[in-house]
Amino acid sequence: MTRTPRQHEITQLLAEWREGNQSALDELYPLVYDELHRLARRYMSRERKGHTLQTTALINEAYVRLVDQKNVQWANRSHFFAISAQIMRRILIDHARRHAYAKRGGGAKQVSLEEAAAIVPNQSAELLRLDEALKSLAELDPRRSQVVELRYFGGLNNEEIAGVLHVSENTVTRDWNMARAWLYQQLTGSGAN
Amino acid sequence: MTPERWQQVSRIFKSAIELDGEARAAYVAGQCGADNSLRAEVEKLLDSHRQASSANFMKGVAAEYVASLLVDDKDAEPEQRTLIKGQQFGSYVILDSLGVGGMGEVYLARDSRLDRTVALKVLSPDISRDQRRMQRFRQEAKVASSLNQPNILTVYEFGEVDGLTFIATEFIDGETLREYLHKKKLKLAEILDITIQVLAALDAAHEARIVHRDIKPENVMIRRRDRVVKVLDFGLAKVTEKRASMLSVEESEAATEFKTAPGIIMGTINYMSPEQAQAGQIDERTDIWSTGVMIYEMVAGKMPFSGATSSHTIVQILEKDPPLLTRVAQVPAELERIVMKAMAKSPDERYQTAKDMLIDLRALRKRLDVEAEIGRTSSPTTPSAVVINETAQRPQKTRILVIALIGMAVVTAAIFGINIWRSRNNPTVNTATVPAAERTLTYWITVQKFKDNKPYQDPFTLAGEINFEANYQIRLNVRSPQAGHLYIFNEGPASAQPEFVVLFPSSTANRGSSSLAASQLVQIPEQSWFKFDTQQGVEKVWLVFSQDGEAALEMAKAFASSQTGGLITDPDLNNTVHNFLSSNSAAKPEVEKGDRLTTLKSTGKLLVWPIKLEHH
Repeated sequence: MTRTPRQHEITQLLAEWREGNQSALDELYPLVYDELHRLARRYMSRERKGHTLQTTALINEAYVRLVDQKNVQWANRSHFFAISAQIMRRILIDHARRHAYAKRGGGAKQVSLEEAAAIVPNQSAELLRLDEALKSLAELDPRRSQVVELRYFGGLNNEEIAGVLHVSENTVTRDWNMARAWLYQQLTGSGAN
Repeated sequence: MTPERWQQVSRIFKSAIELDGEARAAYVAGQCGADNSLRAEVEKLLDSHRQASSANFMKGVAAEYVASLLVDDKDAEPEQRTLIKGQQFGSYVILDSLGVGGMGEVYLARDSRLDRTVALKVLSPDISRDQRRMQRFRQEAKVASSLNQPNILTVYEFGEVDGLTFIATEFIDGETLREYLHKKKLKLAEILDITIQVLAALDAAHEARIVHRDIKPENVMIRRRDRVVKVLDFGLAKVTEKRASMLSVEESEAATEFKTAPGIIMGTINYMSPEQAQAGQIDERTDIWSTGVMIYEMVAGKMPFSGATSSHTIVQILEKDPPLLTRVAQVPAELERIVMKAMAKSPDERYQTAKDMLIDLRALRKRLDVEAEIGRTSSPTTPSAVVINETAQRPQKTRILVIALIGMAVVTAAIFGINIWRSRNNPTVNTATVPAAERTLTYWITVQKFKDNKPYQDPFTLAGEINFEANYQIRLNVRSPQAGHLYIFNEGPASAQPEFVVLFPSSTANRGSSSLAASQLVQIPEQSWFKFDTQQGVEKVWLVFSQDGEAALEMAKAFASSQTGGLITDPDLNNTVHNFLSSNSAAKPEVEKGDRLTTLKSTGKLLVWPIKLEHH
């Protein structure tokens, strides 16, 4: 695998996107998607089920692999993390959707006959609902939904999120509290629409 | 919530979260002033914040929570796909792969002997070799297949082909009650319908001395096609000898099931009965409890027992009474009584059998039907306290009617209401007198005048068609003393091509089923009114009442969705319906126009009648 031309290309695209070229993002997206997806799968098949997936480690590895380190800039890195968070969300949602009609979640401990019927697994269904709720939040409040995306899907900590969004860490904490409370309401049905 | 409202709420939330106790309350009160709904919104969010924190909601990262999804992909473990699309497997043909589960692979398959679609589960070889698990599987298959009840997932076959053990079950295309609940708030009538079916399943299981032990919305499936409810997962079910030799949770695998998983899900602990929570002896009455919890959740929109941690929840289950249902939702006191009885802490104070609870719920359902009917007829603009089946309004596309023919007879709504009520209480009078080889159908029309787009004067009832004004809106009522299959179509003013709108059944009318019970009232639309089309001409409302289902018309049901507004868009199907109606309406039924309703009688198994409506 020749990495250099690709690294160069991706670094270039990141720079263009940072400068406001939206079509650069369109080109970047599938490249990063493939890499993250591949890494995630590799990690997980190595670690097997039930183990945790270190999202930040994963994105870091993708970053190192995809981006030309000689021309690295913090802005590039934070942009890479922002897009990676979005892509991780996409990857997980894609998987959840595919699994939604395939099987019920988890429970290998128990022999369940109804696994035979097509039933939506809990994990996938929960995640899909969370995704939907997050979309509604994005309509009400784009920044808070982005905080959730960066933290929950991208695995970034508050300091990193503050860097990506150019806000203070306190703001990130407050945004997260509010967004999470609202999502909790939506998912547990205790909220009014 | 509007973005402006959100901004308001979030501004107050942001500061309030930094304050404690009284200071917080004072701050919120001060900021919200007289705006009570704003205050409620903020307080609810603060409460959710507290709950989300203690429930560890969204703690960690999504990938941790769903990481296992990433490896279950087909290509991740390709060696597991034993069967391929189109392959013959015993008497089954594999149609599609539905996925890989813990126990093996699941396929959508066709049973070529009986020509039916099944879910086929092929057990993985290491499980087939595991004696204990196989024993459990067999037991479960036996349990489920012994319960031959329409609300329990049917097991068709348990067998072996080429050394592979498989189970064939009914394939359910639908969603769980949990997902259903997340999509929308259920109407009381729906809640009762679902619960009645769950209890019917439990009644059958309990009769066979089987306790389900894990009744919860995740284990209740609602079939997309007809909204029939299926109770799933008798995997935890245990066969019990008698109440005297009850089961202990400790020795069952149930205990491992009731764990609270990390991440975004809530455990299943919330539906456990006190005796389950204490790992005590359990019997059928534990299912009664869980059903009560489920009704409560459907009505209130939240679970009756839900603490910050599982131990908090258990304490609530054992000691706390949930807020009264009538406080948290607008429901009849009778429902509250039923739910509280089901959720009595002591099993001895609960309903002792599913059947007893079923009887009470059915009686309530019936009572509400009657009340709603009276309420609707006497004052349709102010819905009665209990709104039954307040389904979506007919889409505007539905064209209708009006004017017509014969003499009218106006009856006041009040008298009409009482009349209906009486006839409901004496349903046997008519039923007995109708011979089988005859079809009888009655209909009447309720009219509401409108002025400035608002209902004006009391509605009145007609036996049949009259000369309507443009500002009248109507409702069609149909009933038969016989059971049968009813189809109602609206045919627009004559045009080059026949075009029909399906009025009944639809997803909101009779839940998509044409099947009508004896004396069941059909009202179209259920809650709103038909508007007259602005287009002039004669329209017809076709009534088809058949002893058996009519295949030609069943196909039209697919169009009775909000997407097309019931309009059949397929020209071939329009022709099919047209041909059916014109060929079968030649044999005219006998028409008897009474004071309050019109009675149609035909010989044979089929009755077809067009109500002609002209509008100007």
